Order: sequence, then structure tokens, then C-alpha cells
Amino acid sequence: MKRERLPVLAVAVMLLLPMMPRAAAAHGEAADEPFLKDLTVAFYDVNIGPTSVTVGQPVTITGKLTILDTWPYTLDPPQTAYITPVVPGPVFALTDRTINGEPAFGSVEVEKGGTYAFKMVMLARDPGHWHVHPGIAIQGTGTLIGPGLWVDVAPSGQPFVLPVTLLDGRKVNLETLGGNFVWWWSFIGFLIGLVWMIYWTVPKRTVTRLAVTSQLPVNDDAPDIGLITPRDHFWMDVLAGLTILLLVIGWVGMARKYPVRLPQQTDRFEPTSLTPSTHMATVRSSGATFDQSNDTLTINARIHNTSASPITLKSYVMAMTSFVDGPEEELAKAGPADYVGKLSVTPDGAIAPGETRDVTLKMTSEVFEQERLIPLHDPQQLIAGLLRFTDDQGHQDIVTLKSVLVPTEFRPQYLP
Amino acid sequence: MAAAATTGMTAAERQKRLELTELLNAKYQWIDRTWDVVFWITAIFIVGGAADITKLLFAGDWDFWTDWKDPQWWPVVTAFATIIIPSALQWIQWVAWRFPTGATYTCTCLFLASWIGRFFQWHIAETYPLNFIWPISTVPAAIILDWILMKTRSFVVTSVVGGVVWAVLVWAFNYIPLAPYLQPAVFMHHILTVSDVQGIAYIRSQTPEYMRHIERGALRSFLGETQYVSLVFGGSLAILGYWIGQLIGRYLAVWPIGKYIKTY
Ligand SMILES: [Cu+2]
Repeated sequence: MKRERLPVLAVAVMLLLPMMPRAAAAHGEAADEPFLKDLTVAFYDVNIGPTSVTVGQPVTITGKLTILDTWPYTLDPPQTAYITPVVPGPVFALTDRTINGEPAFGSVEVEKGGTYAFKMVMLARDPGHWHVHPGIAIQGTGTLIGPGLWVDVAPSGQPFVLPVTLLDGRKVNLETLGGNFVWWWSFIGFLIGLVWMIYWTVPKRTVTRLAVTSQLPVNDDAPDIGLITPRDHFWMDVLAGLTILLLVIGWVGMARKYPVRLPQQTDRFEPTSLTPSTHMATVRSSGATFDQSNDTLTINARIHNTSASPITLKSYVMAMTSFVDGPEEELAKAGPADYVGKLSVTPDGAIAPGETRDVTLKMTSEVFEQERLIPLHDPQQLIAGLLRFTDDQGHQDIVTLKSVLVPTEFRPQYLP
Repeated sequence: MAAAATTGMTAAERQKRLELTELLNAKYQWIDRTWDVVFWITAIFIVGGAADITKLLFAGDWDFWTDWKDPQWWPVVTAFATIIIPSALQWIQWVAWRFPTGATYTCTCLFLASWIGRFFQWHIAETYPLNFIWPISTVPAAIILDWILMKTRSFVVTSVVGGVVWAVLVWAFNYIPLAPYLQPAVFMHHILTVSDVQGIAYIRSQTPEYMRHIERGALRSFLGETQYVSLVFGGSLAILGYWIGQLIGRYLAVWPIGKYIKTY
């Protein structure tokens, strides 16, 4: 490479750098500490679709999340939350969101142990291959994310339009509302500033004036010497006057064109938790192990059926993953495939009313490592998840299970 | 010597001023206009960068999103954040060259820095529409701030009068382009401003709604005139910001070369 091309290359790299985080942003989710993901929120029954759309078409995210009772004491207690799609930037535009069936434009008040069903509708905005997740941002904690799915957005041949209805009934396109006025308005001000700068710096010398100013008091502008002359005052008065005139014209125009203006709106409500008030079972864990050599998580649990009918353990939900004891069709319904696995329960089968049974849950999946869900070397060697039961009448229940996790072997390490 | 009038001067003083007039127009062998060009151009990056960083540090999200540009917080934090570097440059350019240009220079540099960043990084690369993420303009307020310094020749008066004027003008000039986004709209079964709709529709996974520091209504709202109370408070903070800028201009920015410059 010729040497003179180096600066060009350097400039090109500098210009491209801001674009790089975008490619990487698709999968930043594994960064959180494992126990933080496991002990905080469990996502389940998540459905994202359709997975192939063109620009302007809707993609819907539905699902449920439970804020676990095992919420770690090391975090602020959950109170204010915002349920949001997690996507790399505004590649989709959110147009509708309900929480437990209620429209939710903003944040909501949540509680520990609460279960919330969400539905979000987004219009595809930018063509591309995007990883789409639901997520919940909790004040003081950050954004915790649910299972994701790749959605392909193809160009539609037309620019994206985001219709919004104003209160007076007019329909506007949010993408272009106001046109380029924000730019032109700013630019006119910039032009006056540019004239101001040119007036002082082009006809007048700069650096050599220091020889004179350094011999005068700071508040002496020396019109007799010629530092700031009456002519300078005249032209600066003209420019300052133009600036104020611009403000007056702009203000009058604005007040006429947009006579009704509101302050930004805010509202929060407290969706009623969907967590069942009486549970079918009590559960306790006597420990869990994780075998890194074959990505297998084993949990030992004691289940006591406190209901009047036999119950069956159907699945275990931890963070954004679901492990289902059932046929392939049930696995397919449990959520995005990358985050769903098979659960084996031994001994299997219904637990009779009043019965206490010790069971072993076993699940094998690469998702544990990919999403960093297992604490292998952490200050809280703990995991937690939801056990989902059904009884013989088809009722469902979720019960939180917290377990101490011990890896089957601690890897020797030289560095901390 | 407090005033520029030549009346009441001694003959020696008058002679001195004549010499200074000659010095102002003197020809130099080694120092020519190239130095001026080099100075003004290289400083664009430093001054623009310093102004942009200060703005982002103190008023980051308020400057980024229309749904943060509220009546209560936006005028206050913006007035404070944006006056600091213009004030520093006012001192430097006034003292060194008697140019009433420090604020205007800073804000034209800031205009370039913020628009380049906002356009390429946020609009082109991140695809946020410009009508949601436009940066505020401080150039008109800067022109008036420089004008006040030129008229009063006093940093104290400029700080007190200029600080308040700054808060009002920065807000007023940017409230004009904000107006279309304060129109009421119907969205998700609520009455929201268009800016709220922008904030919801253009997904910001890491900037959830509850993070907005905006007016949310409180019993202490003063007769519903939050806007004017905020402007007065913003004006006071701008005066403080102006003196932080003076501190930077007078000491921090010039100390490396301070020992070579003789001042009276
Ligand atoms: Cu992802």
C-alpha cells in the first residue's frame, strides 16, 4: 500500500467505527451475570411472528413473564418497569402494546412475584435480518431479556410510513412530520453565526492583535486604536437584530401553525398480577449440579401436592429458557426454538393429592453456555426458575424453585 | 484606564495609544495570516469537541430525544450545560484579541460537531429519523451573548444579563422546531404528544420510558407555570455555568502558555 493512502484509510476506519456496534448489538445479551438473569425474571409462552415480512408489515410479540420471588437482595426491589421489544435500534416501530390486556404506552408498576402477559405489535421499518426479543427494563436494574427469534425484513420498494392520528383527526406520517425544518431552522442560525465569524476573522488579523491587547486593560475595547470600531458595532447590531427578528418570525409562525401544544404525557398503572393466589404445590430443592462436559443441568426437588387433584410437572422455566416434558409439538409451542429444550423428570407421572415426591429434573442444552445462564464462578452460586404444573382439570400453576448450584467440577485456574 | 475615551489623558498616554495604533497595523516578518488560519481551523475540532462533550455530559438525553424536551428539566439542564465552553472562549478571544466572538465561535463549531454526529451516527447508521433526534441550536443565543459582551465590555454584566438571556434564547429558539412534536395525538388509547409517540415507536431498548427526567406533575407546580419557573432557574444556573466557563477560560485552558503571556 502506498504510504499516502494511510490517512485515507484511517479516516475511512474512523467513519466506519460508529456503524460497527450495530452489527454486534444483535447479541449483547449474554453479558449479564448468570445469577442475575436466573433469579430475576422468567419469560415463557413467548411467540414472535411472522418471521418473514416486508417493510411496513406487522410483527407481533406475545408472551408472559414472572418477576420471581427470588429477586436478589443485591438489586433494588422491582417497582417500576417498562416492557419493550429488544431489537438493534429502531429497525421496527412499536405501534401497540398491552399488558394483561390493558393498553400500556409507558412504564408500569410491578411487584415481586407478579406475572404479566404482554403483547407488542411492531411494524418492520428497516430491511435486514434482525434478532427480536421481548424484554423488561426494571428501574435500578436494567433491561432483562426474553427469548429471541430471527426475523427477516425484506424491502417493500416503498419508503416506510408510520401513520399517527392527531387529536384533531388529521393523519400524519411520523417519519417525515415537520419535514427538514429542524435542519433548516438550525442552519439559518448557523449562517448568521458564520457571517459574524467571517466579519471578525477575515478582514481583521488575529494573532498579532495580542501585542496590542496585552498592553490594555481587559475592559478597554480601544475604538481610537481600532480594536473594536464604531463600524464593528454597527454591523454587529445588524446581525444581533437579524437574530432577534428571526426569533420573532419563527415564534409567530410556530404559534400560528401549531396553536395547540401539550407537555409530554406520563401515566403509570399497576397491572393486576396473573400469578395464581393459591398454589397446587410447595417445592424445595436439595441442590443442583451442572456438568460442563455435556451441558447438562440436574436439579433435585421435593414436590408436595397441596391441591385436591393429581398434578403433573410440565416444564421448568429459567430466565429466557423453557424445558418441557412432553412431545415435540409441545416443545414447538413453548417458545423460540433456540431457547426451548427437553425436560426429563424422574420419576415421571402425576403426583397424587397430598403426596410428597422427590424428583430429579434433567435438561441438556447449549443455551446454558450461549446465554451464560449457569453461575460457575460467581458470588451467588444460585439458580431459580418456575416449575409449571397442570392438574387433571387443565388448571395451570407456577411455583418458584431456587437451587444452590454446584458445578460437577471446578476448573483449575491460574488467574482469578 | 477604564474607558476608551482619549479625553482627560496625559500627553504620554495619548502618545502610547498612538504607538499601539501603529502596532495594530504593523507588518510582521515572520507572523502572517497563515498563523491565523491555522489557529482558527485547528481550534474548530478542540472547541467543537469540548462543547459537544460538555453538552452530552450534562444534557445528553435531553438533547437527543424530542420526548425529553419537556417544560421543566430541559430548559434548566440545557442552559447550564451549553454556556460553559462559550463562556471560556469568550474570555480567551476577548482578552487575547478583543474579539466578541468566543460564544459564536464555540457554537458554530458545536453546530458542526453535533450535526455530523447526529446525522451519520444516529440517522444514517442507527436509522433514527432526524425529526426525533435533532440536536438543539445554540448559535443564535451565542450571537446575543457575544453582542452583550461587546456592548458592556464586562464579564460580570455579561454573566448576569447574558446568563438569563442565554437560558431564555436557547429554549425559545429550540422550542420553535419542537412545536410540531408537542401536538396532541391519539396513540394506544391515550392522548399523547407526538414526541411521546416518537419515544415509544422508535424503540430504545436501553433507554426505557421511566428514565425520562421530565415534568411529571407535582403539588409544588407553581400555578401550572412550570415553564417560566424553569426558565428563571435555568437563568440562574446559566450564570453559574458562565463562571465555571470563566474558570476554565482564565486558568485551566491557558495555564500551559500562561507563563509566556504578559497581561496587565
Ligand atoms: Cu438476540
